[in-house]
Amino acid sequence: MIQSFKALAGLPLAGSILNACVPETKKVIPGKLKGPDFKAGHLLRKALSVVPTQTETKDVVIIGGGISGLSAACWLKQNSDQDFCLLELEEETGGNSRGGKNAHTVFPWGAHYLPLPNNDLTELLAFLQENEVITGFNAAGLPIYRDECLCFDPEERLYINGHWQEGLVPNWGVPEADLKQINRFLELMAEMKQAKGTDGKFAFTIPISASSADENFRRLDKLTMAEWLIQNKLTSDYLHWYVNYCCRDDFGTDAKDTSAWAGIHYFAGRKAQAANTDPDRVLTWPEGNNWLAQRLRKPLEKHIRTGKLVYKVSLVKGNVAIDYLDIAQNTYHRILAGKCILATPQFVNERILNIQPEQGGNRNYKAFSYAPWAVANLALESPPAGRGVPLSWDNVVYGSKSLGYVLANHQQLQIYPENPVITFYLPLPDEDPAKARRMAYEKKQEDWAELILAELEKAHPFIRENVKNLDVWIWGHGMIRPSVGFIWGEEKAAAEKPVLDKIFFAHTDLSGISIFEEAFYQGIRAAQRMVEGKA
Amino acid sequence: MRISIQALLLFSVFVVATCGLVYELVAGTLASYLLGDSVTQFSTIIGAYLFSMGIGSYLSKYFNRNLIAWFIQIEVLVAVVGGSSSTLLYLLFDRVESFRLVLYLLVALTGILVGLEIPLIMRILKDRFEFKDLVSQIFTFDYIGALLASVVFPLFLVPFLGILRTSYLFGLFNAVVALVLCFYFNREIRWATYLKGTCVMAILFLMAGMVYSDKILAFTESLNYPDKIVYTAQSPYQRIVLTKNSHDYRLFLNGNLQFSSADEYRYHEALVHPGLNGIEKPEKVLVLGGGDGLAVREVLRYPDVKKVVLVDLDKEMTHIFTHHASLLDLNRKSLLSPKVTVVNADAFQWIKTNTEQFDFVVVDFPDPGNYSVGKLYTNTFYNQLKRVVAPGGQVVIQATSPFVAPNSYWCVVNTLQAVGFRTLPYHAHVPSFGDWGFVMATLEPGFKLEKEFLPELKFLNKATFEQMCVFPKDMPGKQTEVNKLNNQVLVHYFEKEWGKYLN
Repeated sequence: MIQSFKALAGLPLAGSILNACVPETKKVIPGKLKGPDFKAGHLLRKALSVVPTQTETKDVVIIGGGISGLSAACWLKQNSDQDFCLLELEEETGGNSRGGKNAHTVFPWGAHYLPLPNNDLTELLAFLQENEVITGFNAAGLPIYRDECLCFDPEERLYINGHWQEGLVPNWGVPEADLKQINRFLELMAEMKQAKGTDGKFAFTIPISASSADENFRRLDKLTMAEWLIQNKLTSDYLHWYVNYCCRDDFGTDAKDTSAWAGIHYFAGRKAQAANTDPDRVLTWPEGNNWLAQRLRKPLEKHIRTGKLVYKVSLVKGNVAIDYLDIAQNTYHRILAGKCILATPQFVNERILNIQPEQGGNRNYKAFSYAPWAVANLALESPPAGRGVPLSWDNVVYGSKSLGYVLANHQQLQIYPENPVITFYLPLPDEDPAKARRMAYEKKQEDWAELILAELEKAHPFIRENVKNLDVWIWGHGMIRPSVGFIWGEEKAAAEKPVLDKIFFAHTDLSGISIFEEAFYQGIRAAQRMVEGKA
Repeated sequence: MRISIQALLLFSVFVVATCGLVYELVAGTLASYLLGDSVTQFSTIIGAYLFSMGIGSYLSKYFNRNLIAWFIQIEVLVAVVGGSSSTLLYLLFDRVESFRLVLYLLVALTGILVGLEIPLIMRILKDRFEFKDLVSQIFTFDYIGALLASVVFPLFLVPFLGILRTSYLFGLFNAVVALVLCFYFNREIRWATYLKGTCVMAILFLMAGMVYSDKILAFTESLNYPDKIVYTAQSPYQRIVLTKNSHDYRLFLNGNLQFSSADEYRYHEALVHPGLNGIEKPEKVLVLGGGDGLAVREVLRYPDVKKVVLVDLDKEMTHIFTHHASLLDLNRKSLLSPKVTVVNADAFQWIKTNTEQFDFVVVDFPDPGNYSVGKLYTNTFYNQLKRVVAPGGQVVIQATSPFVAPNSYWCVVNTLQAVGFRTLPYHAHVPSFGDWGFVMATLEPGFKLEKEFLPELKFLNKATFEQMCVFPKDMPGKQTEVNKLNNQVLVHYFEKEWGKYLN
């Protein structure tokens, strides 16, 4: 009798002892909530109708300083003598490739790596060579990458069944039958990588627009990645988790909401070869792709104007009139340009593009939807450890809603990096992105901190005590969602058509997937079309 | 009279409850410390403990006579077993096949003993109380004791006393209660003298444990080392332990032997002289790693050397080798020489920003046993190394054992070659290490090796060095991958080869 009483008494007591190492009140984690300047962005909704009195003229205006806008500007600078400027709403250019820093290190706020680019992406390879990421080419013509930019070993680990395993494809404690399915899936993807359509083009390649038009492959856009797996009798829960993880990693969507064409492209689109590394390595920097964005920006300093909210783009007497608000000065300006590149997402174009339907203004924006994301940077006392493979660059927890975390200090050459920062990625997939976005905007820093710690504690039970600071960045429209039928649908094709050979469009939402290479080529293609009249 | 007997017995219920829960918490905490995964440890320890208490209360029905004497006897046993449990666990961890078995046996034993006590005390008191009062009183004190233990354990005991002292202290409480009961029931109990004796012995034993708990903790550490520990320090990077026996000093970093004073001259002569000896007028020497100053001691034998820069990450290391008297004898105060500049810095960071060039460079890093140190053996690092070598200069790198870890050794050689160094692999027998490998490297077309060695050397002469450059049939050169930041193959080779050797 006493024992049963004691048992009842003992368990809650034990519970309190478990927490005993933690002070009674949970440690409050300091930090800030950040994000793109969505207040300024939302000014657009008020449909500003001021007609500016100050007017200047330019040959070309580029709107948007994300990777597409920067790359369009770089191409213009190198290949034409047009007088141009680039207008950016935020205080900094870079778009999704934003970065931050604290007293000890820089870190990414968004995109954080570039897979080795396919060897036929000449312009991108040239850009990397200019910036010494590629140091030369070997006798076979394969690029030699600078060792400091290739992700250091150990690259990836996955926390699964209480243990950190090497790599992200589940294998630790995974049953034989599941492993077989995973292998079959990877073999299928290896085949898809080399597959070519009847037109002789690769079925899946980068840029996406260069992929084969063969209906045999394109029809994969009409079903979801989850359906495709089931159709191929790939039912393993471990495999489904892995594929779902990959969809969320690249697209911010679940496999059940992702086009199978896009899902397969994730595995089959890249076929790079390098002289001095295995092809699956990625290029990365402590500040993530902000490193690349900074290099793109460098030759453009004189042309870039930040903190400028473009609220109207219209045609005035054969010119393009770009009306913008200088946010700091609260003054209104108009630029009359011969031509203009909108390197902005379609949800922005919907607000600013003021063109009559018969001139090409009749555009369907409904097909474009964007996944919200939360990205957090956690400053830690000491590096997080755990049983199994030691701390790696990318650290993922099996079964977690998040994509895990990346160690910002990983690419530092210090032997024992001090004051580590980890960047935590949490896509917010939902069938209704607007709802997910509203919910994300309502949360406070404390709410995010609790949510993020709960995810991290699955692998690091005592991490709360280790966290010095936790800042969160909310990307309301993080990236385009390649939902079923979108990539090869009419709406997307229509949206990239220039208006009257005056207004051109460049953005990853016109590719359908939000990756650096697509952004880079969107910019180049729009600039080329504009200057050379290329189709 | 009656009232005080009740009070005393109820007080002992309170002590039994408090101590019982403390032992349970001690076992749970220690298991979490030593085995990790606190949720599992606490959960299973509590389960095992409660179940054992159940066994104890079941067994209580077999005690039919001399209940008070048995109660005292069990109390003493609880005191000794519970009091010394944490020490036993500390001592046995890492030293027995199945630590978990010992842990759960100890938890079960404590649980059974504690489980016996409360039924016994209820039976002792059953005629002195109404049943409803008895039940109410005993449970009240039982639970108050549990509450007290659970509050003071994390807030006061662990932070201020530590785990070992806490268990001894509560063992003492148990034993003192037993002794008081002996005196109180002096006339009523059998074997009173024997019981008093065991109580006193238990108290003495537990007090000793409490007083010596620091020494016990130090002893558990010393079991890892065969000799007497004369110095320990914990730096942010490693645990430094220096041991001494009748004929040598040994330095351990994180438990790995760095040198034995009995044969370190072989290692350091082989490391420094072949490369440095041939250089005409070597003025500037760089030593990377080697905070013990032993390589510098060898370097300073050359009067031409005007400047030595030693870069070692660990301040603690260079501190003890500039302060500890016996170690100053060993390195002949080399680090205190006016020619020597000690820089406590990360070698990779330092070498990237350094612009000075050196005639001879000694690279004496710890073995590439983890990804952090592994960076210092990559082609990226060796490319930086090329920048610091003066024209006509030579470099030497310690490169683990070519016998035990041939792929690791030749991987260092091949990586040096891949960045454009000409290499000269050689090896020496160092008794406390085994067959140890070095690589000499230069950017010149050939090595300078002609000169005779200094006569004062104990190990090296020209003939010996010529032999050292010969690799016997069972240690041939190997093709390996080049060690890079993005593959760290050396760490993989090293783990595999030494892992196999040590198991």
